[in-house]
Amino acid sequence: MSRPGRDDAPDRLYTLTQGRSRSGPDNPFDLVTLVVAECAPVTGMQSEHAAILRITESPTAVVEIAAELELPVSIVRILLSDLLAAGRVSARHPRTSAVYDPDILEQVLVGLRNL
Amino acid sequence: MTPPLPGDRTDGPRSPLTVPLLTAVLAALAVAAAVFAGPEPARGALAVTGTVAGLLLCAAVTVADRAVASARAARTRLDTVTEDLGRLLKEQNRLTEEHTAELARLTEERTAERARLTEEHTATTDRLTEEHTATTDRLTEEHAAHVARLDARLREAESARAAALSATANAAGRMQALATGMLADLRAMEDKHHDEEVLADLLHLDHRTAQAGRLADSVAVLTGARSGRRWARPIAMESILRGAMGRIGGYQRVRAHSASDTAVAGHAAEGVMHALAELLDNAANFSPPTAEVHVYVEEVPSGIIVSVEDSGLVMSDVQLRRAERAVSGESTDLGGLTGTRLGLAVVGRLARRYGLKVSYRPSARGGTSALMLIPQELLVTTGASAPESTGTAPAATSSATTARAGEATATTATAPAGEATTTPATTATAATAAIAARTAPAIPSEEPAAAAARAADRPAPPAEPTAEPTSAGLPRRRSSRTKPAPAAPDHRHDPVPEHESAAPDGEAPPLVLPRRRRGRTLADAERTWSAGRTADPRPAPTAEETRARTARFSSFRRAVRPTTAAPTGDDAPARPATAPTAPTADDVRAGRDTDTPPAAQNNPTTPEGDTTS
Repeated sequence: MSRPGRDDAPDRLYTLTQGRSRSGPDNPFDLVTLVVAECAPVTGMQSEHAAILRITESPTAVVEIAAELELPVSIVRILLSDLLAAGRVSARHPRTSAVYDPDILEQVLVGLRNL
Repeated sequence: MTPPLPGDRTDGPRSPLTVPLLTAVLAALAVAAAVFAGPEPARGALAVTGTVAGLLLCAAVTVADRAVASARAARTRLDTVTEDLGRLLKEQNRLTEEHTAELARLTEERTAERARLTEEHTATTDRLTEEHTATTDRLTEEHAAHVARLDARLREAESARAAALSATANAAGRMQALATGMLADLRAMEDKHHDEEVLADLLHLDHRTAQAGRLADSVAVLTGARSGRRWARPIAMESILRGAMGRIGGYQRVRAHSASDTAVAGHAAEGVMHALAELLDNAANFSPPTAEVHVYVEEVPSGIIVSVEDSGLVMSDVQLRRAERAVSGESTDLGGLTGTRLGLAVVGRLARRYGLKVSYRPSARGGTSALMLIPQELLVTTGASAPESTGTAPAATSSATTARAGEATATTATAPAGEATTTPATTATAATAAIAARTAPAIPSEEPAAAAARAADRPAPPAEPTAEPTSAGLPRRRSSRTKPAPAAPDHRHDPVPEHESAAPDGEAPPLVLPRRRRGRTLADAERTWSAGRTADPRPAPTAEETRARTARFSSFRRAVRPTTAAPTGDDAPARPATAPTAPTADDVRAGRDTDTPPAAQNNPTTPEGDTTS
């Protein structure tokens, strides 16, 4: 585990979601769901919501949002479902055909090796 | 006339009658003889004359006789009086003598009595004086003994109190350290486990631990120990509110209304959070279990007012006054503590320490409202956070135009500083090179070795020369110079709290590119690969190599994310912009490998775990 004192922020995760730790059963977000902001952040929003809206000005995967915010994916999914319920973001699943192209996968492998 | 004495009476009644009668007889004989012897014609005249003469003679004889008798009586009385006088004189002499004798006797007696009494008095006085002295001495001794005993007991009590206080403070500090460590562990676990059930349990534990930590903080504050955690950078108001909420049981009932972009200075953030948590806890505990507690943040010229309004019981005037006195921090003795009501005393201590002003008033929501004024000197405006990151970066040297690129270079600039304190000479040289490159314009006379020594002494020297010549002229915070790597300026601040038990300067700074998990993943992959190839630190790659590598990386990213390739205009320029400093970053990263904490190496909390799960 990390050393004491390396905790990163004073606000605990449960305060971000008002104590919710489970997203609803109809939560449409999985790790690769692409999220696009539908509006700009407004004053008075929770800072994570505002940050999500800024990140998702271009379509961004849930897992990337989580990495950007340095939050667990489950927490981000709850935040995203809040935003979705408010109509501030929309979600769509990525096209999958390109990802499974063997050429590209090979290129990726070669690129990784060369790094 | 004095009364006739007894001697005078013996012949008194005889002589006045006998003498005149005898005279009268004689005179009558003489007259009768003369008349018979005288011529016849003259006998008549002779008888008359002889009778008259005889009468006169009788009268004279009577008077003479009376006079003789009186004289004799007077003489007798005179003798008697003379005798009485002598007797009286004798009597007087006798009485005088007696009086004199009596007087002498009484005088003697009196003198004797007086002497005796004087002696007795003296003796009594001496005795009493002695007794008094003895008693006084005894009492003085007893008093001194009492005082000494009380003194000893006072000293004992004080030392016992001090020992108890310091033991309590020590225990509280250890509990704080434990709680802090547990919170950090829990946060790491929350990042590690993505099962929602596990996460829920972890969050529950997190909440409990945060409350336990608050209790330990309270005890530490009451015992006068310093707060267990110090934040290295200002904490935004939203985080302050949420940090306070997270430490109380009923945080879900708290509604925070804050649009303030102000932050609390790092040194006071923990205290403000703690005080606010206590106020929130009070408000939540003394209101119905379903009622909400509202927190409002209002900016005023003298600072920020945080008002905590509940809709619970209205406090009476006496309660209000008592609460006001408790939170005023005027009394610092522990005597008034009741054991169950620590909160207000803690608030009072914190208010005194940090200059907060707390007051109570009836709330418009029907309950009580607690107002806390955070003074201006504890506040930092976070509007400068975005310019701050560009200001920290040596923007003049690179072609960085976006704020994010500036941050990336700032990361490379500040990272070696902390690194040089822990890593051996191999990485120290790389750090020295980086520092020399940074500090050369500002301190040209210093040799790299001196710069390295400076880096070893002070964690963040490069930030200082770069901070001064910034032409932006924006006010900058001191604490921002020492923070290792600024996170994204708009969200999710990543302050590194310094803990007392941990060596703050000896710790390695966070990862070199903490903002980008993707980059970090790639870096780690590259690190493991290169570590397998060469055990020793690689030589610094040239700029061309780096540029080529960066280009490969960009194409890789484009290939992986075809849909986001076009709009990632903010990401793409960031990579080439860091190219001039990338060798340094690589070195640092390679150097970090030898110093990476074991936690990052042998457990799955490393970023690979995040992205692959």
